[in-house]
Amino acid sequence: MADTLRVPPGTEPLVQVRGLKMHFPISSGLLRRKTGAVKAVDDVSFDIFPRETLGMVGESGCGKSTTGRAVLRLYDITAGSIRIDGTEIGGLSQGALRKHRPKMQMVFQDPQACLNPRMTLAGIIGEPLDEHTNWSRRQKLDRIYELMDAVGLNRNFANRYPHEFSGGQRQRIGIARALALNPAFIVCDEPIAALDVSIQAQVVNLLEELQEKLGLTYLFISHDLSMVRHIATRVAVMYLGKVVEIAPREALYAEPLHPYTQALLSAVPDPDPASERKVERIILKGDVPSPANPPKGCNFCTRCPAVMPVCREVEPQTLEVAPGRFVACHLHDKGKPIGGPTPGANQTTSNQQGATP
Amino acid sequence: MTSKATLWGAAAALALMPAAAIAAEERTRGSSGHLNIIYWQAVSTMNVFLSGGTKEMNAASIVLEPLARFNPEGELVPWLAEYVPTLENGSVSEDLMTITWTLAEDILWSDGTPVTSADVVFTYEYCNHPEGGCAYRDRFAGIESVEALDERTIRITFDEPRPNPHVAFVGAGSPIIQKAQFENCMGARAPECTDANFAPIGTGPYVVTDFRPNDVIQFEANPNFRVPTQPYFQTITWAGGGDATGAARAVFQTGEMDYAWNLQLAPEVIEQMAAGGQGELLVDFGPLIEHININLTDPSPDLPVDERSTKLHPHPFLTDKAVRRALSLAIDRPLLAEIGFGEMGLPTCNFVVAPPAVSSPNNDACLEQDIDQANALLDEAGWERGPDGIRSRDGVRLEKLFQTSTNAVRQDFQALIQQWWREIGVDTRLRNVDAGVFFGGDPSSLDTFQRFSADVQMYASTFEGTDPTSFLEQRRCGRHPRPETQWQGQNINRFCSEDYDALWLEKSREADPDRRAELAIKLNDYLVQNYIILPLVARGRVSAISTDVGGMVMNVWDSEHWNQAEWYRRTE
Amino acid sequence: MLNYTIRRLVMAVPTVIIISLLIFLLLDLAPGDPTAQLPLTIPNEVREEIRLALGLGEPVMVRYVRWLQMMVVNEPLHALASVTGWENLRPDGQRILSWQSRSPVGDIIAQRIPQTLWVVGMGYLFGILIALPIGIISAYKQYSWFDQIGTFISMVGFSVPVFFTGVVLILVFSVWLGWFPSMYDTTLRVTDWDSFMRQVRQMVLPVSVLALFNAAQISRFMRASMLDNLNQDYVRTARAKGLRENTVVMVHVLRNSMIPVVTVIALGVPAVFSGAIITETIFRVNGLGALLINAIYASDIPMVQTLTFIFAVLIVLFNLIADVIYGILDPRIRYD
Repeated sequence: MADTLRVPPGTEPLVQVRGLKMHFPISSGLLRRKTGAVKAVDDVSFDIFPRETLGMVGESGCGKSTTGRAVLRLYDITAGSIRIDGTEIGGLSQGALRKHRPKMQMVFQDPQACLNPRMTLAGIIGEPLDEHTNWSRRQKLDRIYELMDAVGLNRNFANRYPHEFSGGQRQRIGIARALALNPAFIVCDEPIAALDVSIQAQVVNLLEELQEKLGLTYLFISHDLSMVRHIATRVAVMYLGKVVEIAPREALYAEPLHPYTQALLSAVPDPDPASERKVERIILKGDVPSPANPPKGCNFCTRCPAVMPVCREVEPQTLEVAPGRFVACHLHDKGKPIGGPTPGANQTTSNQQGATP
Repeated sequence: MTSKATLWGAAAALALMPAAAIAAEERTRGSSGHLNIIYWQAVSTMNVFLSGGTKEMNAASIVLEPLARFNPEGELVPWLAEYVPTLENGSVSEDLMTITWTLAEDILWSDGTPVTSADVVFTYEYCNHPEGGCAYRDRFAGIESVEALDERTIRITFDEPRPNPHVAFVGAGSPIIQKAQFENCMGARAPECTDANFAPIGTGPYVVTDFRPNDVIQFEANPNFRVPTQPYFQTITWAGGGDATGAARAVFQTGEMDYAWNLQLAPEVIEQMAAGGQGELLVDFGPLIEHININLTDPSPDLPVDERSTKLHPHPFLTDKAVRRALSLAIDRPLLAEIGFGEMGLPTCNFVVAPPAVSSPNNDACLEQDIDQANALLDEAGWERGPDGIRSRDGVRLEKLFQTSTNAVRQDFQALIQQWWREIGVDTRLRNVDAGVFFGGDPSSLDTFQRFSADVQMYASTFEGTDPTSFLEQRRCGRHPRPETQWQGQNINRFCSEDYDALWLEKSREADPDRRAELAIKLNDYLVQNYIILPLVARGRVSAISTDVGGMVMNVWDSEHWNQAEWYRRTE
Repeated sequence: MLNYTIRRLVMAVPTVIIISLLIFLLLDLAPGDPTAQLPLTIPNEVREEIRLALGLGEPVMVRYVRWLQMMVVNEPLHALASVTGWENLRPDGQRILSWQSRSPVGDIIAQRIPQTLWVVGMGYLFGILIALPIGIISAYKQYSWFDQIGTFISMVGFSVPVFFTGVVLILVFSVWLGWFPSMYDTTLRVTDWDSFMRQVRQMVLPVSVLALFNAAQISRFMRASMLDNLNQDYVRTARAKGLRENTVVMVHVLRNSMIPVVTVIALGVPAVFSGAIITETIFRVNGLGALLINAIYASDIPMVQTLTFIFAVLIVLFNLIADVIYGILDPRIRYD
């Protein structure tokens, strides 16, 4: 399944994110004045096309989950634009957002915590129907059963409480819940991270199956590179609040361009023993800097094995270095004079996605 | 007594005011409406015999009445009796062995039945029952028999000549109860008669309509009261509970209450509240005396437990009169009275401070503190100051333990006195004991005032009625607490003097009131001039009354409510 | 759940008996004497007779067994007879007598319950009613000015002692303004509008003092519990479902937050019965708290024993009730 088959040129992206910033204020002192901000997501842009899966990888704390939540506007974002299915939702109030919620849903990481412990399974799955439809009880119940069938849950479980289920079953409940209103776009935020390895595959397969059947579009957030390789069409790599590289899956795994991506992939055990020898394991030194106080220049400059003086001065632009391959690294920034001025953010974002006409 | 004069003056001034005040002859039973009384220490029963507390005695005194009681001057006045029996009118026998009371005519119980001599006899039998736990049984001590001679005449026979026969059936602590009501409540059954104990049928101006233990009592005028125009207040709510501050505030500041009893508050608090102008402070002085007791025996903890503070071991230095005198000289009594009690205390050097007839005029010199003389006295007696300023003689250091009950005023006193004694080279350690334990009388406890596990201790003493004879008897030989008496006994000092005993015996046999008073003064002087007891402050009874209520006459010799029937509201 | 409740009740019996023995022995061994409050003019022989008349002459275990029998058999039967009016239920045996008033402690306690429930109960109820919205809004708008003021008021309610707030209220509203009485009248019967208003007026001050104190405590609980739940994933789920904010907070967050709060509230109920000693004293409410402290001062041991025993039973009972409520509210908890 190559990208080109899925995303014919000229297709409008379903999700279009531009310059997304999510800063959390830090208050301190006696009067709790705002003294700084955690830049959890700092100027992120990407597109997701209908029926594709964009995998989003990165170390924990890099801002990928925040990105996922911000895209669904579970936060009031600091800046940026988010268009979903042609509607700009970046600036909508939470009240106005409500009627757009059915289109976009989320599957959460911890299936135990994300289900209200005092509601039955039917209540959890059916609640969005209460809120967004005026169906009769019968219709709603039918829909609940239908969804339970779809995710492979026994109908008899409808009146049970979440704690009575296993982790895998709970995640199925979470998925059924997300599907209740026929969304087009689902953010899967580490949906398998809290599950046993044996269950992980079941859930991923279920997600793929549902995508096939219902024509869903996923933003699949995970730190598990092999699982992303399995499910994603394209992959975005995040580091310290920024997307450092976006590329089609095959290209990225075959030839990572950004030094961080290289380091990340070198840590993944390759199922093919022959290839293992080829790739030297790159071990990154030092800790991830605090997102409250990112380094000057390239965010990765403190740990980058190929760091250059320019990296400590100038923030790299995101450039399309090959068709569909975007990377933000001075190593690939051939045309730019070293030590030159940093181009404006607008300029950076406007030419980021080559697939957009 | 000055405060009373002030009160009367104020009453007179108010009576002269034109404001809706009404003349006495216009007042009738119930015309004053409703009276609110607050006792912050609430009344727990209306049967005085089962309680012994002053608060119960006061509340019961407006229902139950004695044959005779004391007026504010401390004189006996007939109450249910026709007259007070005396030698002169022949009702007390020449040999002082009997006294004959005659009931006044036409006295009815509040239920309408007549009061007869049988009720009086029954009262004696009720309280004298060994299993009844009657708190006033001592009033009937030494009585051989109480007989009804006829419907109205009662003869009491004593087991030995009794110069002061006016004890039984006299005063608020010895009222008459109705035989018909309490007949089945004798002895051990006394507590079972809850209804009778809470609403006794009496002869007084009021009857109980509702009694809630430790909370509130409602009274209504007794329809069968012997004075047809009285009582002036139709109903009384006798509230209990809260605290002294709240009670004072309710009279002085909010006017919710008309009368508040026993306002033991800091002098400055009282003054500030009284400035509110809605009420007046009533202070009167009875025999209540705050004093220091000297232990003449050795309380040293090195001794075996049962030998501490016993006559086996005389005190190492408090047996020296010079030391005791020096201790007394060093005390500034007026300052203590001012700090501790303000208007409610008077400095004194007497143990018997009231009534005036028996209070000694001979000891006022000690009211002035004289540290120099005290020092000179100790120097003379050979007590030499050591390097730390503490005196000693022959290896005995003037170090002692000073104990009292836990109470803010007493702790202030302790600290002041400790300082003064320090100035004359006497080292004092202080200790305070919870009042419940200190006065608890538990023979197994080392901390009771009877056990006296200290060198000196301070508390207040008083006596009932106007006769100090039994009060002074407490210091006779053989009355000291010791293991053989289960540490009971009132001769706290372990004092014993043949001269004192002889004087007391003479007093107890003397019938002439003047001679009795003279002897009382001699006995008092003996104790204070030998510095066995160091009197400090005579304490007053403190109550507050609304300026709108008249007719109240403070009485320290009887219940404060002795003339409750005559209280009235100035503006109706 | 029913089995569980019954089992817990049965298990509570030995607990309560052990508690009763401990209470009895502790009070018996404690220093203090019922005649200590009597004037010193009463001679010791008379004091000794009074002690004997109070039953203090007998060995402690005899007194304990007799007291226990009266406590668990005679007194409940008396109470039942009084409530139902079936006089043949009334046992012949002795009742527990207060040493102070020499009357049955059961009757006195029954007399005190109404004012305690009215004043302390209302104080608790109003405290809860004030606390819940404050706690909810404070948590929802954490660090807002509302939260800051709420926090300040809770701290005041917590840290300023009741005897201070009580006296301040009396000075302002009784002495200066004269709006409300400073003393509670336990004899007031509510028969018409006027007497009802008088009842309301005399309750205002003590109830406010208690409500402030209770509200301070419960609002902090509510706030903490809300904050815990507001950050839970299921709340994000609820928002992602596109629910109204109102529904998210009031249905999802509040219901879950109420679980510990309801438990805390249930555990606080015995304290309502035990009265509010200081408040009752300041406002002269003469409820159970005043009764207890008065009995302690007067060494009225039967009264103290009975009251503490009743409180112990209530505490055991409400612990059980709290557990059962917890089980009902939280489907994750199962008792069997």
